[in-house]
Amino acid sequence: MCAKSLTSISPVFPTTVVKRRVVKLIVNFLFYFRTDEDEPIGALLLEQCRVEREDDQVFSIVFLDEAERKYLFECDSQEQCVEWIDAVVKASYEFMRKNLIYYRTEIHRLTGKDPLEQYGISDETRFQVNSGLPPAAT
Amino acid sequence: MKLNERSVAHYATCNSPPDKTGFLFKKGERNTAYHRRWFILKGNMLFYFEEKESREPVGVIVLEGCTVELCESESEEFAFAIKFDCVKAKVYKMAAENQAAMESWVKALSRASFDYMRLVVKELERQLEEVQEEARSSQAKSMLKKHQLQLQGATFSLQNATITGPSQEGVSSRENGVSWSKPPSVPNGVRDTQGDCSERGDGVRPPPVPPRRKTNGGSLESPVSPGTGCFSKLHDWYGKEVAELRIEWLQSQIHW
Repeated sequence: MCAKSLTSISPVFPTTVVKRRVVKLIVNFLFYFRTDEDEPIGALLLEQCRVEREDDQVFSIVFLDEAERKYLFECDSQEQCVEWIDAVVKASYEFMRKNLIYYRTEIHRLTGKDPLEQYGISDETRFQVNSGLPPAAT
Repeated sequence: MKLNERSVAHYATCNSPPDKTGFLFKKGERNTAYHRRWFILKGNMLFYFEEKESREPVGVIVLEGCTVELCESESEEFAFAIKFDCVKAKVYKMAAENQAAMESWVKALSRASFDYMRLVVKELERQLEEVQEEARSSQAKSMLKKHQLQLQGATFSLQNATITGPSQEGVSSRENGVSWSKPPSVPNGVRDTQGDCSERGDGVRPPPVPPRRKTNGGSLESPVSPGTGCFSKLHDWYGKEVAELRIEWLQSQIHW
């Protein structure tokens, strides 16, 4: 979990609205708060999204189903920007699942053993290369 | 609290594979009867739809930090509840259609957290590093042994050898302009003669001798003589072939 103060930039035609927010990354959610409050005013679920560097200190989050809308965040420094981008990219459950499948496959390739067997979790659908379940309602 | 609802709903119905789907009964918020809903578990999110064919979820339960418990219900068999630590949080009461479904859902939901996935990923990451490290160190050990053997052979026949190529550290390329006389006696019974692969005591065969490189003149000299003065070029020239042979031999030796 990392809490940093970022500036969220909302492009609102004709002007751009810039708001200072405290942003917290908790698992695959980006919560944002008004600086003096305990309760978040909003959250972004970080699945099916793309993170990009916009500028030295600015990154954007774009959701795949709504690619025209960019959530812009301005950091206090370049380093902070790089850190945030890295953190947000790694904050998706799907990203972690892909890594897990890669590690599992690779360990099996190198050792001939399934590393999940010792924990008795080899059959859990979330760890399968292809879960085999039909996709959700179209 | 605002949420990027449209994108959340998109996540529910997009083609990323769900972890579990099925019908469950869910106790209503206002109408406290149990309603049959179509559920889709993806990652740490439990979406529910009015019908299996519905395009958009009716709601979602974020499962992070939850506990799943079996519970008694007056009206429903196979009931369980999704609870959270926070005092203010809602308790979600659910019921499955049979014992097996209930057990399967309880198991799936209790391990749906991001933290759990992260834990397993970290563990596998660590295991992979270990495996790779072991592979590297056993590779290094066998290379060291190989070089030691070659050096032993080299020491014995230095006075007789005609070397026209450079000798690299630890690697003596015996072909391509380097000729060795037979060593008079070699400890541990290995004879590194050309074209001969004898068995060592521990059953590991030494690498096959590389084929002689043929040059235009039909001679066995290296095409690049020490007089060239470009050691990096020489290193590349010798190094590539040695590296390739090394890999080939190692692959034949390693038993996983």
